[in-house]
Amino acid sequence: MLSPRANRQSLAVLMLVVCASAHASAAVDGKAVYAQKCASCHGAAGEGTPKEFPRPLAGARSVGQLTKYIVKTMPADDPGTVNEEESAAISQYIFDAFYSKLAQARNKPPRVELSRLTVRQYRNVVTDLLGSFQGTAKLDDQHGLKGQYFKTKRRQGEPVLTRVDPQVRFDFKKESPDPKIEPKEFGIVWRGSIIPPESGEYEIIIRTENSFKLWVNDQRKPAIDATVKSGKDTEYKAPMYFLAGRPYSIRLEYQKGKSGVEDSKEKKAKLEIEPGSISLEWKPPMRPVEVIADRYLSPVNAPESFVLETAFPPDDRSVGYERGTTISKAWDQAKTNAAFEVADYVLAHMRDVTGVFDTEGDRKNKLKVFCMKFAERAFRRPLDDETKQRYVEHQFVDGRAPEESVKRVILLVLNSPRFLYSEFVNEKPDAYDVACRLSFGLWDSMPDQTLFDAAKAGKLSTREEISRQAERMVSDVRARVKMREFLHQWLKVETPPDISKDEKLYAAFDKQVLSDLRVSLDLFLDEVVWSESSDFRQLLLSDSLYLNGRLAAVYGAKLPKEASFTKVKVDSDVRAGVFSHPYLMSTFAYTATSSPIHRGVFVARSVLGRSLPAPPAAVAPLIADLHPNLTTRERVGLQTKPSFCASCHQMINPLGFSMENFDAIGRFRKDEKGKAIDASGVYDDPSGKSYNYKNARELATLVSKSSESHEAFVEQLFHYVVKQPIRAYGLSESTSLRDSFVANGFNIRKLMVEIVSSTALSPQNKPATVVHATPAHSQSASQPKGN
Amino acid sequence: MSQIRTRREFFRDLGIGAATVPFLLNLPSLCFANQTARKKRLVVMFSPNGIVPKTFWPTEEGDKFTFKESLKPLEPFKNRTLMLKGVCDKIRGDGDNHMRGIGCLLTGTELFPGNIQGGSDTPAGWASGMSIDQEIKNHLQSKSETRTRFGSLEMGVMVPDRADTWTRMVYAGPNKPLAPIDDPYQMFNRLYGRVKDREVLKSVLDDVQDDLKKVGSKISAEDRQLLQEHATFVREMELELKEAGKETLSHAVPEPEPGVKEENDNIPRISKMQIDLMVNSFAADFARIATMQYTNSVGGARFRWIGVNEGHHELSHNPDSDEASQTKLTKINTWYCEQLAYMAKRLAETPEPGGGGSLLDNTTIIWTNELGKGNSHTLNDIPWVVVGNGMDWKMGRSLKYSQVAHNRLLLSISAGMGHSIKSFGNPDYCQSGPLDKLT
Repeated sequence: MLSPRANRQSLAVLMLVVCASAHASAAVDGKAVYAQKCASCHGAAGEGTPKEFPRPLAGARSVGQLTKYIVKTMPADDPGTVNEEESAAISQYIFDAFYSKLAQARNKPPRVELSRLTVRQYRNVVTDLLGSFQGTAKLDDQHGLKGQYFKTKRRQGEPVLTRVDPQVRFDFKKESPDPKIEPKEFGIVWRGSIIPPESGEYEIIIRTENSFKLWVNDQRKPAIDATVKSGKDTEYKAPMYFLAGRPYSIRLEYQKGKSGVEDSKEKKAKLEIEPGSISLEWKPPMRPVEVIADRYLSPVNAPESFVLETAFPPDDRSVGYERGTTISKAWDQAKTNAAFEVADYVLAHMRDVTGVFDTEGDRKNKLKVFCMKFAERAFRRPLDDETKQRYVEHQFVDGRAPEESVKRVILLVLNSPRFLYSEFVNEKPDAYDVACRLSFGLWDSMPDQTLFDAAKAGKLSTREEISRQAERMVSDVRARVKMREFLHQWLKVETPPDISKDEKLYAAFDKQVLSDLRVSLDLFLDEVVWSESSDFRQLLLSDSLYLNGRLAAVYGAKLPKEASFTKVKVDSDVRAGVFSHPYLMSTFAYTATSSPIHRGVFVARSVLGRSLPAPPAAVAPLIADLHPNLTTRERVGLQTKPSFCASCHQMINPLGFSMENFDAIGRFRKDEKGKAIDASGVYDDPSGKSYNYKNARELATLVSKSSESHEAFVEQLFHYVVKQPIRAYGLSESTSLRDSFVANGFNIRKLMVEIVSSTALSPQNKPATVVHATPAHSQSASQPKGN
Repeated sequence: MSQIRTRREFFRDLGIGAATVPFLLNLPSLCFANQTARKKRLVVMFSPNGIVPKTFWPTEEGDKFTFKESLKPLEPFKNRTLMLKGVCDKIRGDGDNHMRGIGCLLTGTELFPGNIQGGSDTPAGWASGMSIDQEIKNHLQSKSETRTRFGSLEMGVMVPDRADTWTRMVYAGPNKPLAPIDDPYQMFNRLYGRVKDREVLKSVLDDVQDDLKKVGSKISAEDRQLLQEHATFVREMELELKEAGKETLSHAVPEPEPGVKEENDNIPRISKMQIDLMVNSFAADFARIATMQYTNSVGGARFRWIGVNEGHHELSHNPDSDEASQTKLTKINTWYCEQLAYMAKRLAETPEPGGGGSLLDNTTIIWTNELGKGNSHTLNDIPWVVVGNGMDWKMGRSLKYSQVAHNRLLLSISAGMGHSIKSFGNPDYCQSGPLDKLT
């Protein structure tokens, strides 16, 4: 029984590759025949020769059509001398090497392409654009919500009690929350903000047998109005879309006691005390319902924040990272709808967004000033006169209601290429382009006011100035969110996997444990990245786990049942960061058994950056039950024994076997089926040296020292941050970033800063000339790359 | 007054989910999909606090009857009017009569127990079932030949901005009250927002095209390809909008009087605006069902424009012997009847698109109330005044029943609208089936 995900992965992974193409089995070597019979006229790589055939060999014929064509017409001076078999081999060769459209694209040198905002960027930008007018919250370190307790259900007068409640989960029963409060009727208001850990669709849930009203983000309209308690329902839900890391205000007004017509004193005295309780819960995307924990709550009230609801088609991720280099009709419609959504929001929140009152004198001119600012911020640069005219002045013609003018400006601005594309750089970027490269690189959003001001003041022209800004920006919550999203993608868990495990073998592993494990992973990632040293190697080597009471019971640590997450050492002689984290071990596993292949592929691809070739054949995994005496390692060895598997599995299997000490839910084990676990293997480093290891921890140590893993991490982070191919920035970009990464003690934050700083001044459209590899940190700061 | 309250509402009001991607192209059906079978429409109009029986109910029974004072405004439509006396709201259980009066009126079923304490009886919550207008709407929406863009419109005039048992008449299901839209501008946006948006978008796209060219001239040929593709999409959208513009409405988009604030003394203006919008949306076939809720159960509007300064609810508690109050209450109900008459008039003078006759020939308006009489709080003899010819009932009569359950009338309405059901609300009150004598 496979979970859908494991199934899908097993198909993808187990499609084993016959490395040499089918045609290689034929006797004829197409490349050789081409060189011998064709290259003299067509050029060694089909580029053509000036005298004989000046055009490059490129076109739309299929291999079959090419074969026929060549037999019939080639060589031009002596047609008919190429036989069918030779022709087929030549055709296949030239098709793959340079003739086909795909080959053409592959052979093109990488370049920085014009890009629209990705969907993620678009969502962030519209939130920040409106946020620049609405204001943003300054959160402190305090967690929980501010609770005010009142003697009456209507919450009149001063509260009897004010305190910060770490979470809202109270069962008052028939009692009162405070001796000064009568248990028959009372009211409580909780205020503050919630800070969602990931972007996506949430459900806010209130459980109570009493009545309440809840506002989330929208401060005018309640998300749930349950002032009327009706029937037996005690559960109320409201769906919400949130962006990760951003605070959303919340206000919960709870009341115990009846509403409507007030009872007489005598009647009141006779009333029985009803039970009271309330809890504030949520269901994060793809995760079970839980009480909102204190780490997601702040007693500080955030201003309202716009969240775009329009659905967009997903971005192209075919190269391994999201990028905005293509558009489609569906995108065009979505961005048009989104523009309406923003415009209507502004119209409905006119005063809050524009700061202009309904009844104010000279309203038209004040709104025009707002529109100028709106366009300037949306375009991320000052407006020239023509742009001012087109985008603002023309929309404020006489006789048009000012609201309608505002609506037109917003629609026009948000449909403008100046807003929709991240930059239009020809040759050298100016200060505003540099600002955008920094903010999109670090935040996937628009520049903030400080950065914009720096651009305006001409303070983004040297590498030093740029790095200083980047260092400031990297501690912003948006950079944290982006880093975490990158790490999730790196670890192949960007969408929380839907894992279920064999109930007999892993009775303790339920949805709640799975959800806790994701929190545990996130706490670990955050700790490593945002600690002082921000040391990449810790991701591979850490010997501790974040566990709460529930997880401790499963993974064998001694913690009280109700304990919240703490860092503990469990099996620390074998555990090693992402090489053993139970969330990843559970993800890269089947329902009942571990999956060394999934684990090995993860290490090969993500950690070592190896590319595994595309597969022409699918193989179903051997069923464990049919081989009851084999350990997982033995079974996988048997399955991948055929020689056509070996070329890749020689590398994949030993990497995966290193983690055999961790079962399908990532618990430590010494043996399987009565046989001691063998987690040993050999790692060949890029220089060709071989190292033996006994277990995951030893392998992780080897890998953490290997330039292979450093380069892989650098390139993957680069692509996630910049969304352009690293080779487009010169062949030395990767090496020099890696060198500086090493020189900086593998500091992840500094690497992020380096990446954006080294590309911020790069000219567009001219791939940087090939220069000798120079470590970035030794370059003169005033000499940007490519100049 | 803000025209749109929240974004969510805006999208809901457009009749689409925010996630509907091509909303601009998935244009509303502004022409008339169904030309064959006769359209049937239903309007339920609600006014609160009971009536004054002696100035309301005709003395006679049958087709020879005289309107009493409260009904005088309906004189021009007398032969298209049916008055039903003796139809009672027999639903009991939690909640006071005002609460059950409005909450069980169209649902025919009990209120859930809850935390809302009325002036008497036990506290209650929301109704435990769907209302008949929604039942019929769902039936019409389930079939392509009767499906309309909105299905039903829940309208109101000066409904207080609070959700409780006294302010909700329409229910989409148990515990699912629907809030009436009492802001004509919000209603307008819901009905015509898209038409407006299309016009704006059309003129904005020209500027976008110009700027695409300008920006494109600055960048490399390879990158320009992407912008050219972009320009093609913009052009396609322009063409589609142009096509959409050719689909004309059968009537001009109404232009509501601007700047009418939602306050007590504007009730007459708001009422007129809402009725006009309702009639327009029938002409455009946006919906076949509408409810029009004036204030709320226990509504306390002050009818200063007809010289009544006391609140309506307060007045309705005064005893029958208080002649001054009886006169004032009669005046109030006469004013409500004028609204009904205006609605009937507008429907009667609007031709039925794609067919002969007028909208009123295919529309039934039912005017009702949460109580029979204000000072006794009785749920007997709930006023039911039917105007129009949407349901093949024999009009121009005054009928008197002997204390029949109003659930039976709800069954009759549903059957009259082409949706025969055996039971609605509490089945105990449905056993004798639809009311007799109607056809």
